[in-house]
Amino acid sequence: MVIKAYIMILVYVGKLEEVLSKLRGIDNIESIAVTAGDYDVIAKVAVESLEELMETTDRIQMVGNIKRTTTTVIEKEIAV
Amino acid sequence: MNLRIRKKYLFYVLLLVSSVLGAVSASLDGVISHLYIENSWVFGMAVMVAGIPVTLTIAGVLSLPWRGRSLGARVDPSFRRLRMLRRHELGYHVLAGLGNTVVTLSHFYLVSVFVDPSTVLPFFQVVILYLLVAESLSEKDAPTLAEIESSVIVTFGAIMAAMSLTGSLNVEALLVIFLVMNPAWVVLAVYQRKLKHLVVDDRPNDAVNIRTWNVLFTAGMITVAVYLYRPAFFHQALATVGDTFPWLAATMAVIFFSYILYIRALGIGKASITQAVKASTIIFSIPLSLALSGVLDFSFSASPTLLAFKLMGITLVILGVSSFALTEVKAYVFINARPGYRMAELLDEVWRIRGVASVSALAGEYDMMAKIRIRTLGKGYERIIRRLEAIPAVEEFNWQSILKEWEEI
Repeated sequence: MVIKAYIMILVYVGKLEEVLSKLRGIDNIESIAVTAGDYDVIAKVAVESLEELMETTDRIQMVGNIKRTTTTVIEKEIAV
Repeated sequence: MNLRIRKKYLFYVLLLVSSVLGAVSASLDGVISHLYIENSWVFGMAVMVAGIPVTLTIAGVLSLPWRGRSLGARVDPSFRRLRMLRRHELGYHVLAGLGNTVVTLSHFYLVSVFVDPSTVLPFFQVVILYLLVAESLSEKDAPTLAEIESSVIVTFGAIMAAMSLTGSLNVEALLVIFLVMNPAWVVLAVYQRKLKHLVVDDRPNDAVNIRTWNVLFTAGMITVAVYLYRPAFFHQALATVGDTFPWLAATMAVIFFSYILYIRALGIGKASITQAVKASTIIFSIPLSLALSGVLDFSFSASPTLLAFKLMGITLVILGVSSFALTEVKAYVFINARPGYRMAELLDEVWRIRGVASVSALAGEYDMMAKIRIRTLGKGYERIIRRLEAIPAVEEFNWQSILKEWEEI
C-alpha cells in the first residue's frame, strides 16, 4: 500500500538553493514546493511502507543545512 | 544523481510537442487526401484499417522492458504494458470512441474540402470556447476571468494566424465544424480526461492504453458508420489501404504520439487550458503549409497584409499561452479542526470550495491540508479564506504561499 506524507522543512538562511538541488535527486519525492510562511520547503513523498518513509526522511535530513523537519502522514486524500 | 523532479512547465512542453506532431499529421492527411484518397469516408475508413496494426505495434514496442521499466514509461511514467480494458473504463471508452468517430469523419471531410492544413486547423481551436462553457456548467471547474481572457486571446489569435484570403468557405463545412465536429471534440476531450484520472491497478491510468483502446473503439464505430452509409466506400477503403499503407501508417504513428502527450497533459490541467495551449498547432502548421504549397497545387498567399495578420495571430497565441503559464497562484493551507466535528464531513466541505485542488487528512501537528490553485491572490481571499472562515468545524488555519514548485508527473 502506498503511504503518502508531507515533510515540512526549515532550512538555514542562505542554503535554500543548495538544499533544493539535493532534494530534487532523492527518490520517492512527488513534489517539492518552496513556500513563504512557517516553513521554507514542503516536500510530498510517496513510499511503500513506514520503514521506507523513515529512510526517505533520513535521506532528506542527510542533505545538510536543514534546521528541522516535521513529517505528517496523509490519512486520506481527495484530489482532482 | 538522478534528477527525477521536473518543473511544472512539463505541461506546456508536452502540449507544444503534441502540437508539432499534430501539425505534421494534419499535413500528411492533406497530402494523402490531395494525392490518393479524395473521398473523406474512404479516407476515414482506410486510415483506421491501417491505424489498428500501427497503433498495436507501437503500443507493443512500448510495452517492451528496458532498464527495469517499459519503454513506454519514458513517454508516460504511469505506463507498464498494453493491457485489457477494465470494466470501470468501458463507459468512458465508448463515449470517447463515439466522440473520436465523429471528429475523425468530420476532420477528413474538412481536409478533403480545404487541403491546406493551416486553413483546417483553426476551426478546431474554437472548441476552447465550447470547453469553457462546459466547465462553467460544472461548478468545480468554473473558469476565472483570467482564463476566459487568455482562452479568447488564444482562440482569436489562432484563427487570425490561419486566415487565408485565397480559400473559400462553404456553409455546409462551417455547419459541420460548429455543430458536429467541435461538440464531438468536447466529448472526446472530456472523456479522455476522465479516463486519465481513473485509477487502474492502483496507479494512475496511462495515456498509451487510453489512446490504443480509443483507436480500437473508433475503428469499430467508423467501420459500422461507413458500412451503414455506403458499403461501397468500405470495400473501396480496403482496396486502397494496400497502395497507401506507408502514408496512412505514417500519419497514424505521428498522431499516436501527439495524442499520448495530449492525454498526459489533459491529466494535469483543465480541458480548456490544455486545448488553448494546443492551439499553438496553428503556428507550427504555417511552415508546413508553406512547404506543402510548393509540392501540391494550392496557393499559400504571401501578401504583406496576410503575413501581418498571421504575425499578429501568432503573437496573440504566444501571449495567451504565456499568460496561462505564468498567472497561477498556489498555496498550502494547514487546517486545525474544532473537536466535536466529523473529519470526513470537514474534508468534503473543504473539497467543495472552488480552487481547492486537493485536500488531505493528516496525522500530526495539523488535522488537514488543502492545496490551493487559483489565478490571482485576490481570489484567495474572496474564494478560499472567506469560505474557510465560514466553516464552523475549522478552528484555525495557516496559509503557506508556494513560491516555486517541482513535481514528478
